Amino acid sequence: MSSSSSKAGKDQAAITASAAEIVREYGPLAGEASVGGVTHDGQRVWAATRDGLIAFDPVSGKTTRTLACAGDAGTAFDGTYLYQITEARIDKIDPVTGTVVASIPAPGNGSDSGLTWAEGSLWVGQYRDRKIRQIDPATGAVLRTIESNRFVTGVTWVDGELWHGTWEGDESELRRINPESGAVLERLEMPRGTGVSGLESDGGDLFYCGGGGSGKVRAVRRPKAAARA
Amino acid sequence: MDSLIAASARALAAGDALGALKRVALRDDPPALALRGIAMAQLGEHPRARELLRRAARGFGAHEELARARCLVAEAEVALAMRDLGGSPRLLAAAASTLEAHADHGNALQARLIAARKFLLLGRLGDAAATLAPLDARGLPPSLAAVAELTAAELALRSLRTAMAQAALDRAHEAAERARVPALLAEVAEARAALDRPAARRRSAGGEETLRLQEVEALLASDALVVDACRRGVGAGDAWRPLARRPVLFALARALAEAWPGDVDREALIAYAFNTRHPDETLRARLRVEVGRLRALIAPLAGIEATARGFVLKPRGGREVAVLAPPIDGEQASLLALLSDGAAWSTSALALALGASQRTVQRALAELEATGRVRAIGRARAQRWLSPPLTGFTTILLLPAALPIE
Repeated sequence: MSSSSSKAGKDQAAITASAAEIVREYGPLAGEASVGGVTHDGQRVWAATRDGLIAFDPVSGKTTRTLACAGDAGTAFDGTYLYQITEARIDKIDPVTGTVVASIPAPGNGSDSGLTWAEGSLWVGQYRDRKIRQIDPATGAVLRTIESNRFVTGVTWVDGELWHGTWEGDESELRRINPESGAVLERLEMPRGTGVSGLESDGGDLFYCGGGGSGKVRAVRRPKAAARA
Repeated sequence: MDSLIAASARALAAGDALGALKRVALRDDPPALALRGIAMAQLGEHPRARELLRRAARGFGAHEELARARCLVAEAEVALAMRDLGGSPRLLAAAASTLEAHADHGNALQARLIAARKFLLLGRLGDAAATLAPLDARGLPPSLAAVAELTAAELALRSLRTAMAQAALDRAHEAAERARVPALLAEVAEARAALDRPAARRRSAGGEETLRLQEVEALLASDALVVDACRRGVGAGDAWRPLARRPVLFALARALAEAWPGDVDREALIAYAFNTRHPDETLRARLRVEVGRLRALIAPLAGIEATARGFVLKPRGGREVAVLAPPIDGEQASLLALLSDGAAWSTSALALALGASQRTVQRALAELEATGRVRAIGRARAQRWLSPPLTGFTTILLLPAALPIE
């Protein structure tokens, strides 16, 4: 065992997990569609499914838009464009027309799962590699690598906090980690058997989590920063 | 799950096994191995599929026991399709419990169905029935329901309950139609045809007629005294005297029943039962002894009386007498008839039952095996012989409904 992972293990023991508060469930979104990624464009929640990208209104829960681009894993939104991991690449998609305007290779070469946009970079989770990569959205070049000690199934930034979803076997959590060291700072435990595939903050006090094979998207309350202090 | 795994699973779900394979061909992480294994199984590459699924199961961590259990079930199904029945039933049972504990009921049922089919193929009818009995096929995916009903039908046929088999096959047909799997529909049709094929001949002094399975069942259920040359025994109603291990007694019973209501000449009996054309005094004495033994064994069902020239069968209570023979003559037909009880027979038991030498039986079995009409399990002295299943048993791989990844 390397020193960094034993350190992470100690951190993990020090941080007790609290139960994630699931505020609302959406879906199953479509037939047998499993959700691979989620993002939020300020109004709507986008979910990547086998059959395409589905946007729904988080208030009414109604589907407002669908784009016929298959999504295998993470989804992100940069204010203008959607980014979608498909097979071993990341497609940049115009949400108005649904056309793919650019593609870059995914850093994990297909072992990628989570995706988010922050500070001009894309952040990509590599599932079983337990890594998060910061990449240049124009070229796909890796700028930074953060090691986690769990499978990474979703990534999001909110208020300078880096959160990632994990799902190993029956256990699933939302974790806030130190973006420098990867040390676990906070853990929200999902109920047993409730997986997280894709994670996105709405910029406020909610996280949206993809529910994998259940085809659902779940809204989870983000703990108040004050409560943590 | 990651993006290429998702893409590969997407291709697999769409029936594109090659596309699925292409996406994960170079990856050796457990989910990729599992997908490669399932794709290979669908392409008919069973040995390779098995190895990949094994490696996948080993690769999943202790906390990924659900994924591991699904791999085990897939591997067991591939093994079943390969007719490799050596795997441990306990492993499969443990996988089924794990799946049950994780509320994966579809795959848990599939694990139990695989176990039941395996027991049937091994001739362990009791174990198969015990495994199948608690399963509830209602509310299941139709393809699984169809396989469950086919297995129940096979079990019913083995124990000669054709009405039950018929009902199970009707339900299987209905489920297969809902599942829209052509291979399953074909299998149900095949099983139904088996019910209409000649299953045995009824022979008497008057001649012979061909019987279907239902008619055999009706005859055995009737009050008639049946000398059954398929299962080697004498029965009437619920009473059954097995004579598989008493070939001389069975030969005598059969000769007497075929001549009924007439008698049979002593010399003819000696020639038939002792397989010789040269009766002498010692054989006459032996005939008296053997007839005495048979008389004692079947006393509640029928008497055997001496006549001027030989012996005559006198069934109790005015019963009819019928001889049930295999649908065609010959050593091979007799072997198949014996094996049709679905149990596992040793060569020596078969030789004993047929009153033939082990050599002769061995030769007949080898010919039957070459044409796929009997199966052997085990090796050397532990080798046992079985008939192929009546319903032709699916080698269609349903494979775990949810892939071993999520």
